[in-house]
Amino acid sequence: MNIEIITDSGACPLFRSLESQILNAIPLDTCEWRRTFQRPTKHVRLEAQAQQFNVEPLEKYKQGEWSILDHPILHIYVTECNDVDAYKATIREEIDAWLKLLTSYGVSDWMILLVETLDIRKTKNLLPRTTVLDKIRLDFGSKNDDRCISVLNPAKFEQKSTESFRCLVQRIRFLMLTSYNRNIAKYEELIRSKREKRNHDDWDFRQYFFLQEDLALIFEKLELPTEALIQYDELDAMFSQFITHTGFNEKQQWLAYFKRPLSAFHGICLSRVDKFEMRQKIRSDGVSLLEFRNYLFERQAYLLLTCNDIPEIAKRLLGFLFSTLREVEYIKLDCQEGALCCWEFVCALEVLQLCEQAMEPNEVTCFQHCAPIWNLAKDKLYELGKLCGLLPGCTPSSEQLHIVVQLSSGIGDAPPQQQFLQAMPQLRDRSPNRKPKLSAAQQLKEALGSNQAFQKLYLELAELAISTYKHVTRLRSARLVGLDLGKFYCALNEPHKAVGFFTDLLRELKAENWHTLSSQTLLELANCYRKMGDSLAYTKTCSSISCCAELETLVRTFYFDEFLKSLKTLNTTLSAQPSMENANYCVLEDHFRILDIEVLNTNPIIQDDHLLVQLKMESLYPRGIVVECIKLCYELHVTPESEAALHQDIPLKSKDCTPRLKVTLQLFHKEDGSLNCASVTSDTPKTKQPVRRTSSTKRKLSPSVQADFSNIVQVENIALQPGINLLELKGKATRVGRWQFKQVCVSMSSLEFLSEQLAMQLQPPTFEICTKPASASLHFKTLIAGIVQPINLHVAGGSFIFPSDAKISLRCSKNLRIRQALQPDDPGCANDATFESTLLVPLLQFKSFEERSFPLEVLTDMPGRKVAKHHDHHITLSCPWSRNELPIPLEFQPAMEATCRLHTCGTQKFLQVIMKGLDAQLLLHQAKVKCDVPGVRLQDLNPDPQEPIEIHKSLTVTYLYEIQVEPLKTEHELPIVKVHFVVKYATLTQPQVWRNYGCAFDLVDYSTLFKLQAQLEPNELCRLRTVCNLNLKITKVNENPYVDLMYEVLNDQNLWAVCGRSAGVVSMKDVDSHSISLDVMPLSTGFLPMPSIRLSKYTAGGKSKTDGHSKVHPFPPGQVYNSTKSMQIHVIASVSGEQ
Amino acid sequence: MAFCIAVIGKDNAPLYLATSDLERELDLQYHVHAALDVVEEKCLIGKGAPDSKELYLGLLYSTEIHKIYGFVTNSRVKFIVVIDSSNVALRENEVRAIFRNLHMLYTDAVCNPFYIPGEQLFSKKFDRAVQKLMNGST
Repeated sequence: MNIEIITDSGACPLFRSLESQILNAIPLDTCEWRRTFQRPTKHVRLEAQAQQFNVEPLEKYKQGEWSILDHPILHIYVTECNDVDAYKATIREEIDAWLKLLTSYGVSDWMILLVETLDIRKTKNLLPRTTVLDKIRLDFGSKNDDRCISVLNPAKFEQKSTESFRCLVQRIRFLMLTSYNRNIAKYEELIRSKREKRNHDDWDFRQYFFLQEDLALIFEKLELPTEALIQYDELDAMFSQFITHTGFNEKQQWLAYFKRPLSAFHGICLSRVDKFEMRQKIRSDGVSLLEFRNYLFERQAYLLLTCNDIPEIAKRLLGFLFSTLREVEYIKLDCQEGALCCWEFVCALEVLQLCEQAMEPNEVTCFQHCAPIWNLAKDKLYELGKLCGLLPGCTPSSEQLHIVVQLSSGIGDAPPQQQFLQAMPQLRDRSPNRKPKLSAAQQLKEALGSNQAFQKLYLELAELAISTYKHVTRLRSARLVGLDLGKFYCALNEPHKAVGFFTDLLRELKAENWHTLSSQTLLELANCYRKMGDSLAYTKTCSSISCCAELETLVRTFYFDEFLKSLKTLNTTLSAQPSMENANYCVLEDHFRILDIEVLNTNPIIQDDHLLVQLKMESLYPRGIVVECIKLCYELHVTPESEAALHQDIPLKSKDCTPRLKVTLQLFHKEDGSLNCASVTSDTPKTKQPVRRTSSTKRKLSPSVQADFSNIVQVENIALQPGINLLELKGKATRVGRWQFKQVCVSMSSLEFLSEQLAMQLQPPTFEICTKPASASLHFKTLIAGIVQPINLHVAGGSFIFPSDAKISLRCSKNLRIRQALQPDDPGCANDATFESTLLVPLLQFKSFEERSFPLEVLTDMPGRKVAKHHDHHITLSCPWSRNELPIPLEFQPAMEATCRLHTCGTQKFLQVIMKGLDAQLLLHQAKVKCDVPGVRLQDLNPDPQEPIEIHKSLTVTYLYEIQVEPLKTEHELPIVKVHFVVKYATLTQPQVWRNYGCAFDLVDYSTLFKLQAQLEPNELCRLRTVCNLNLKITKVNENPYVDLMYEVLNDQNLWAVCGRSAGVVSMKDVDSHSISLDVMPLSTGFLPMPSIRLSKYTAGGKSKTDGHSKVHPFPPGQVYNSTKSMQIHVIASVSGEQ
Repeated sequence: MAFCIAVIGKDNAPLYLATSDLERELDLQYHVHAALDVVEEKCLIGKGAPDSKELYLGLLYSTEIHKIYGFVTNSRVKFIVVIDSSNVALRENEVRAIFRNLHMLYTDAVCNPFYIPGEQLFSKKFDRAVQKLMNGST
């Protein structure tokens, strides 16, 4: 449509044939448009129209009243004068005049076209010196010879002309664009100057509008939709500014033009067949504000569609609607009630339909803008429904029906539409089987026609709004639409459909702690449930409402009463198997707040003891309420760090409470199969997952899963006052371990209020239930018999709970006695009677886990035995925690040891008692011997008054006594004489306490029978290796039955040599003594011991074969007294000559 | 000047909410709540460019009567301001100024050592100042 005027005064008929050819050729190819002011170059496709030269537009151009749309872009002078002379004669002057005329109007976009019709032969033969073209260029094209061009007449030279024709078209395109550059700049300047005058009295917006719109249209034609859009946007903004800022200025006369009442309120139509229908109307008849706005938006939308920027259309729609509404308000346009709603609705639906057809579902940006539009459409429809009595439960009155008729006529019919599919290749129909959608206006009219249609459309729009919001993850907005929809369903008396929307909203609001809003939603829900007759849900909701601090007290108490009332009837109506949905569980946090949990027991808690827990809980109910049961359960405490330690703490009794770390080996191999890395990994079990962050802050709609309530503390039938309550919960500590409180459950009738996992909110205290066996033990060092020995009874209480009068009894074995330890200054200390064989140790106020030591003392008799041998005793304990008696073995070492020896001196006999000290340090005193045998008397040879003698280990004390036996009493009558040795002893620490130590000795062979005497001759002087005479004399001292005696000389072979017989037998029958002489020889010099003689009883061998051998029996040492025993003989060396 | 000024914590729980019109408070609250959708959307887009320190989120969405603007602090506390959309005299710069002032007021309020972050704001001083701000007499 670009108008290009080609003027020709000379060769009109010739050019006509060329004209169409040129015009057709121009749009065939694009041309690069280099633009001024650093605007980007662009390839554009031009179109052209030819027109005869006319001065009128040039006149306008000169006056500044021109429109770029009508302005001739290029002036062409066409001539076919091929003769130089003819040119000189007429054409030159004509061209000159033409150019002068153009210059006078300020037009410099011209072109001279020479159509050559030269004869081929002529040109071949005679090359003219100068052609007409040369001349023209010489005359006019001094500065711009590119404006003078020749073309071969294509009619005559079909083959040759192609090249020159192509050049011509190219040149025309180029010159056109040059002209546009110049003219657009000039036109923009014109627009600016007009705009400057906008506050002048006679300024008219409409004129300005067309002025600038022409520029936009030119841009559009030049395929620059974005620049065209800028022009429209500027006009849009300018118009808004006029209305909102200077709306009531009397100066703006033209405003009155838009102030026509809104009798019609057609919506926008994005697919008009005749796009400029309205433009024409604006110019001629005038339009209403709405129509003008519609036109502006349609143009903008069309340009955006050309740019394929559909989301932007959706984005702009709401702003467009709202600002237009504001403008209508500003200039106080009269309009029918509901008219603007209709207009908004149709506009919204129109855009939505476009978006729906054009957009892929994954293009989120478009849907982000669409969602609020759906919502708006829904809201507008609702307003209209309200106005026309179409809401559920309403029937339109005749007045309302009248409104419907008026509105329907105002909405108008949709103008004939282009099919999107044909018009816009980028649009596609997603579901070809779907019946063609009704236009927005039709849909609205239909909806206004009947209640059913209205409801259907409303529900559809609401669902679409929700789903679109959800699609772009604007969940909160979706829930908000859900609220409207829910209310609509309620009005439709379909509360079961509404519940879902309300619960969704409630969940969202509660999750983010919007209490005011969530309590409102609860009210809606309560309403629904009441209508549905769902008494369980109703009860729960009433309970929640009564706990909403945000609501007014009156409301809360009302619902509280409802709750109590409903709770009573609930028992009968409760469903048998509660699922999670209709379960009788409630979220405890909505009704109560757990502030603190404290274990009242002192640590540690002993198994089977009563566990006392104080629960500080805030009741949110407006009034006091009686609760049947409050349970608080606890589970084994597991922290990831202490898991390993836990294994040791908890005995492996119960399998379920021993979480084992799942440790697995991981081996990473290199590519060649060798080991790269080995590690040990551990997966923490999922149940012990640390708290997720979200759950700590967000509140849930349905309570968490019920924990294991096998270990609980509880309190029953308790009244909870509003506000803080201190409750004492009891339970039995059955199982051992470290426990942590897990969940609180409050039961009210058949409702159970379950809390969150407590570990996530407050740090519940952990406590330990443990068990430890009681024990008693005796501690002592080496025990010594005969003296008081300290011993410690150690009682460890463990987890046993002691009665106040508990006792431990200690029973001693025979000869062992026991008492509680006494202080040295205690009068009973020295009294041995305070020792008893059984002792009861009272465990006064003995507490569990206490450990106490009782100092005790034991004493055992020291039996008079000669040899040091330990004595075994035991003490039997019977403890209150055990039925079994516990024997504890004790071992006593004797304090001292007594031995005796019998010594002989001729016929005299002596008794030596040796007291050998052992471990204890003792004092000995008043040693005595007693012998009850008549005729035997013991004479004390010890120094008289005896001072106490101290003995200790490695120190011995000896007492000596002589035994005098009357001769009448022979040994035959009394082979054994019993002698008792008694001594008093005391310990060094208690020197005043004397105890007796007695020891009985048996004396045998206490009389001497034979006496032996040996004498060496020469007496007392022997020489080495000189035979001496050994005279042996055996004398009977006391009468005895032994007759045959055998003597032997037992000598050291190195010292003595016996010459001749060294032994012999003598008979003592009827003789009292015998003398025997023997020859002995000393073998060594010095003092040699006398050769020792042994005397033995001899029994000669009898005649009988069995008794054929003689027998020798030695005498016991006391019966033979060798008076020369240990005598020494001085042997001197022999005379040297004798050797 | 403003219908409603709301301070919303980083877990999207309301910390403070003041409205000029008590009758419409509920409706405004719903709108403020829904505006969080857009705030989240914008913050999500903002995540791509960490150097963009712009706290002002601009117009979140508008209805016939309201324009709802958002602002998010570095600690993810959101300010939502609802403005009368018929008030065309109100420029975007003025909205920014409201947010700047609100940010300062909020900072002062949470500097109170007795205030626990994340709790609701009950400071009377803050409330007075916000009411003033809402009425446009800054």
